[in-house]
Amino acid sequence: MSAGVEIERVSFGYGATRVLEDVSLTIRKGEFFAFLGPSGSGKTTLLRLIAGFGMPDSGRILIGGRDATRQAPWARNVGLVFQSYALWPHMTVAQNVAFGLERRRVPRAEREQRVKAALELVGLAHLMDRRPAQLSGGQQQRVAIARTLAIEPEVLLLDEPLSNLDAGLRAGVRAELVELQRRLGLTTILVTHDQEEANAAADRMAVLDEGRVLQVGSPAELYDHPANRFVAGFLGTANLIDGEVTSDGFRAGGIALPVHAGATPGRATLALRPQALSLLRDGAGSLPARVVRAEFLGGHVRYTLEAGQGIRLIAEEPHLRGLQPLPPGAPVGVAVDPAQTTLLRH
Amino acid sequence: MAQPNRTGRRAVLAAASAALLPVAQLRAQTALEQRVVIITSFSRDVTTPFVQAFERAHPGTKVEVQNRSTTAAVAFIRETRSSPPDLMWASAPDAFEVLKAGNLLAKPQIDTSGIPPRVGGGPTHDPEGHYFGFAVSGYGIMYNTRYLRANNLPVPREWADLKKPIYHGHVGISSPSRSGTTHLTVETILQGEGWEAGWAQLLEIAGNFAQVSDRSFGVPDAVNSGQYGIGIVIDFFGFSAKASGFPVEFVYPSVTTLVPANIAMVQNAPNPNAARAFIQFLLSPAGQEVLLDPKVMRLPVRPETYAKAPQGFPNPFTDASLGARVRFDNDLSEKRYELLNSLFDRLVTFRLRELTAAWKAVHEAEAALARRDNAEGRRLVAEARVKLTRVPITAEQAIDPATAGAFQPTRPNRPAGPRQAQLEEEWDRFAVANYAEARQLAERARSAR
Amino acid sequence: MSATTLPSAAARPWRARWRIEASPVQVLAALLVLAFLLAFLVVPVGRVFVVAFTGAEGGFTLVHFGDFFRTSLFIESFWNSLYVAAMSVVVASLIAVPLAVILARHRFPGAALITTLGVLPLVMPPFVGAVAMQLVFGRNGTVNLLLMDWFGFRIPLMEGLNGVIFVQALHYFPFILMNLTASLSNIDVAMEEAGQNLGAKGFTLLRTIVLPLALPGYLAGASLVFVKVFDDLATPLLLNVTNMLAPQAYLRVTSVGLGDPMGYVISVILVVVSVIAMAGAALILRGRDFATQQRGGGGLARRPLSPLGKALAWSFVIPVLLLVLAPHVGILLLSLATVWSFSPLPDGFTLAHYATVLRETPQFLTNTLLYCGLAGAIDVVIGVVIAWLVLRTKLPGRKLLDLMAMSALAVPGLVLGIGILRTYFDVKMPDGASLATSWIMLTIVYAVRRLPYALRAATAALQQVHRSLEEAAENLGAGKTTTLTRIVVPLMAGGLAAAFVTSFATAAVELSATLVLATRDVDAPLSYGIYVFMQSAAGRGPGAALGVIAVLTVAVCTYAAHRIAERERSRRMREGRATA
Repeated sequence: MSAGVEIERVSFGYGATRVLEDVSLTIRKGEFFAFLGPSGSGKTTLLRLIAGFGMPDSGRILIGGRDATRQAPWARNVGLVFQSYALWPHMTVAQNVAFGLERRRVPRAEREQRVKAALELVGLAHLMDRRPAQLSGGQQQRVAIARTLAIEPEVLLLDEPLSNLDAGLRAGVRAELVELQRRLGLTTILVTHDQEEANAAADRMAVLDEGRVLQVGSPAELYDHPANRFVAGFLGTANLIDGEVTSDGFRAGGIALPVHAGATPGRATLALRPQALSLLRDGAGSLPARVVRAEFLGGHVRYTLEAGQGIRLIAEEPHLRGLQPLPPGAPVGVAVDPAQTTLLRH
Repeated sequence: MAQPNRTGRRAVLAAASAALLPVAQLRAQTALEQRVVIITSFSRDVTTPFVQAFERAHPGTKVEVQNRSTTAAVAFIRETRSSPPDLMWASAPDAFEVLKAGNLLAKPQIDTSGIPPRVGGGPTHDPEGHYFGFAVSGYGIMYNTRYLRANNLPVPREWADLKKPIYHGHVGISSPSRSGTTHLTVETILQGEGWEAGWAQLLEIAGNFAQVSDRSFGVPDAVNSGQYGIGIVIDFFGFSAKASGFPVEFVYPSVTTLVPANIAMVQNAPNPNAARAFIQFLLSPAGQEVLLDPKVMRLPVRPETYAKAPQGFPNPFTDASLGARVRFDNDLSEKRYELLNSLFDRLVTFRLRELTAAWKAVHEAEAALARRDNAEGRRLVAEARVKLTRVPITAEQAIDPATAGAFQPTRPNRPAGPRQAQLEEEWDRFAVANYAEARQLAERARSAR
Repeated sequence: MSATTLPSAAARPWRARWRIEASPVQVLAALLVLAFLLAFLVVPVGRVFVVAFTGAEGGFTLVHFGDFFRTSLFIESFWNSLYVAAMSVVVASLIAVPLAVILARHRFPGAALITTLGVLPLVMPPFVGAVAMQLVFGRNGTVNLLLMDWFGFRIPLMEGLNGVIFVQALHYFPFILMNLTASLSNIDVAMEEAGQNLGAKGFTLLRTIVLPLALPGYLAGASLVFVKVFDDLATPLLLNVTNMLAPQAYLRVTSVGLGDPMGYVISVILVVVSVIAMAGAALILRGRDFATQQRGGGGLARRPLSPLGKALAWSFVIPVLLLVLAPHVGILLLSLATVWSFSPLPDGFTLAHYATVLRETPQFLTNTLLYCGLAGAIDVVIGVVIAWLVLRTKLPGRKLLDLMAMSALAVPGLVLGIGILRTYFDVKMPDGASLATSWIMLTIVYAVRRLPYALRAATAALQQVHRSLEEAAENLGAGKTTTLTRIVVPLMAGGLAAAFVTSFATAAVELSATLVLATRDVDAPLSYGIYVFMQSAAGRGPGAALGVIAVLTVAVCTYAAHRIAERERSRRMREGRATA
């Protein structure tokens, strides 16, 4: 398996502000990879470094096995789809798409054919002669993708490609993107702050925070086995309880929770997905608790519970017709499945 | 530093306090008002010495000077009839004629005793008493000595000298339509030499022009800087430049005329007493002496003032040659005034490139003939010269109301008829065609053998 | 705005209908601007221009226009003016475009200084500038005297139509420089990066992406240069080139007499051609939305130059600056010269001229600052309002306002001055003085004369503020007026600074209208003082000293405005980066 993009110990900053610290990542060829992180995490900067906008203070970037660290953006053959799309308003759709081909001196006949093909790929061949201002947001985004695909890049970089779209459009466009990527087998890196977007699209992803890569893996791996508090909290909902592992379980705030066997004693944080908790209306289970708040979410009801000395837990109960949500203050019992717990060490 | 609105406020205060003055006190001051407003085309260098001398003589009166080009001054007086400035003070007599014709000048009582009624070729003051000559000026040739030396040029003395090929591209003038003083120079040459011969001389001199400037002062400015070496100007431009240290000299040719620089009181002047006093001061011996200030340098109209003049200062009352050869005919000048301006512009100003190129060709052909004389060449050159020195109308036509009349209605506020445009177009075509043909003839003459 | 009434769904169609047509605020703003233009431009000028349509016996006629087209000199002048105006745009672009690109796209030491110096050519004090130009570039100016000495030939820099083109290009290129720089720095950096990402670099990137995107700014500047050169009379007269339209009009009006119709016929034609040129520029831009969304910091990234690039940039910037500032160096020398005549440099140096000026005329400077500062401020306000009405509303007749304001460019100052006198002389101020000759009117006339500059700069700046930024504000509950003052104007800061500077700087050396209107020394501005001095040989030095003071004043103000705009920009950049 050859490498698509390799990032080796890259650091980058603007003056005294550190943006990336010692980042290393390998993105496989043909893989759909995502950089996931909150704003300010450095994910967009890392993407721009791959595209050649800026040079790392230290470290190397390899694309297709060759060192591209010092290569100019125009020499990289890496396609970047900008968050704002950056379609040139003074050119038509076709001229926008043809631009990269002209720079590569593709003969006119082939160029026209490739422009058409790229636009057909995104289903916009009929709008070739429009100007960007005459297109809807979704159409503009597809033109931006077509413009990048037309040059047949080695790597496709997507900078928050869905953020400027209506919520209703996103899921559809995301599916199209994934489908397109699968069809072309193109190494793709998606930058996003939206975990759902990353989960749905990416084969693998890296979670970044404050300029560091915190964890790399498939969406399920990261979800099920977060390496630290941040990843656990950033991906989906998690109950994070600080406490101590003792011989008879995990103790915190006057409650005891089961953990899987063989856990080493000491201070730790217990991460519990809501689905690891079973809410028992009859008060049974290992842990008594009280309802603080109930949110009706359609398929299920999300409860905020309080147990012991101020330990807050989020639990979910599947909703069935005729089942009334519990009122605040109602006593309930909670059962914990030790197989679903994760212990995070400090 | 006075803020503009503060001066306004100060004026209000002054007006209010004036209203509160006892009547008797006011009457005691009827002699002179507190201020007098003068609109003038003269530079600050010229006006300041007079203003200071006047204010010393009349301590209660403050002189306000507004500097404007002559044209702007005339327009301003015309537009501000309801509250005009008190005095108009400028060189160009024609500007005063325009104001007089528009009934914009008052007729103050001024004592002119001791001042000869005529100086040079014409009357000192307006015979109808609307404006007064306070100094006279003659026209002549100003030259930059460094420039002449660097270009190995002899010093010109007479108008005819300026025709010489050696001065090609070295002479400047302002257009008579732009400068009242140049207009008088051109008119003087035409009266001194006659219409046909005068134009022939003018057009040949024009063959050497580097520029025709659109403002009088443009010519001394260019000679001072050395843009070209020789300028046809009014005398005080030369004298004052020399006095300011520029390497320039001035000579009067024998065909020149002396014309007065004037001052007039504007109709409905708000401060008539002070205005009258200023005119009287200008004509008094004390006022006349100010003319000899190095920055002013104009010829006084009182003969006795010349006793205090520096060595070599020209005196038209004793020097018989100065301006005597031409007896300036005001009537004739008046009849063809606008026509002359327009004709000069069509023949010279707007076609200077074509005219100088043709003359250059003639000069070169004549130089070639001097080396290798032949009859055919001489015939062609003579023909070229005829074409270059002809005018489209005769002296009689120039004062014929049928022709000159087409230009006259352009005076105050009445629009010119289309006739003017037609004549101008004819003359333009005449000039363009003649100059082109002359150039061809001269070029053929050069290669004739 | 009331916080208690929430817009109900039912109210929305009503509001939508009003937005498509015009809100009362828009109508009011348009009416105020219209009243200003009518009162101080259209009516006064109309009262003078009426002569062009009046027959010999009174009554309406077009015979004078017929005469114009039958007169070969005028036709020749017409074509000459067109040729000179077009070529001046070309030559000015050759100077301005590289400078703008260097300044806007690269980190260049002393950019503020260069920007300031780049404005100075616009500030050519009357008469002094002409004398200095001749002393430097003239037939026997420094350049040619040295050339003669060393190589035995001259270059006719200041002769004929080409001389006019040379001088005009040096004089007016800052219009292109300023507008283009503002335009370039407003381009979203992603536009450029997208080009690089697809394989474009260097000159190709500039040609295909950057410059086309900056087209609104370029056209704003270029059309100003075209119209200004077409209508300018000072430079042709300085070079004694009279076979062009504007000098013909001026010469006719000032020598044949105010009653001569032909001068006004030519003026009317100047106005018409100028308006057509402006409308043409607007037409080229129509339907192209060049606004690029400014994200947080927006603007092209200023990149460091390679050593070779640095060398190339300096070897362009330095000669160009020397060339365009030569007249100002000339003025400086003149102000320090004892005598300067037919020599490459003055004979000797003295400070006496400055002493004269400071002793005799200290009020000129403060008057100029006051009048021109106010005029510049009026221009920015009216310019923004017109630009906003044209670009952001559907008010009927809004384009007309634009063209009306632009036509001021073609109205000779003398004509406007006479028209103002004719219309307002009998209107008295509280102290009994005439409104027409008061400093207030002088300020208004400056504002009218320089409004076109500010208007073009404001229009270009507003064109680059994306609608969505305003819509965001409106969406958050800001009214149109709040949006304009809180969102649009701050985003236009750079362009507005350019607008103010141009109006202010050029008004500081305005002469033709000043000469008609300024009456009292205590109320007079610098340009009047220069005129007064420059009428005599002895006044040349003091005149030049006043000229230097005028130029320095403008330079200091320009530099300050530039620094303020730059600080604003870098503040936005920092904030933008923090959120990236």
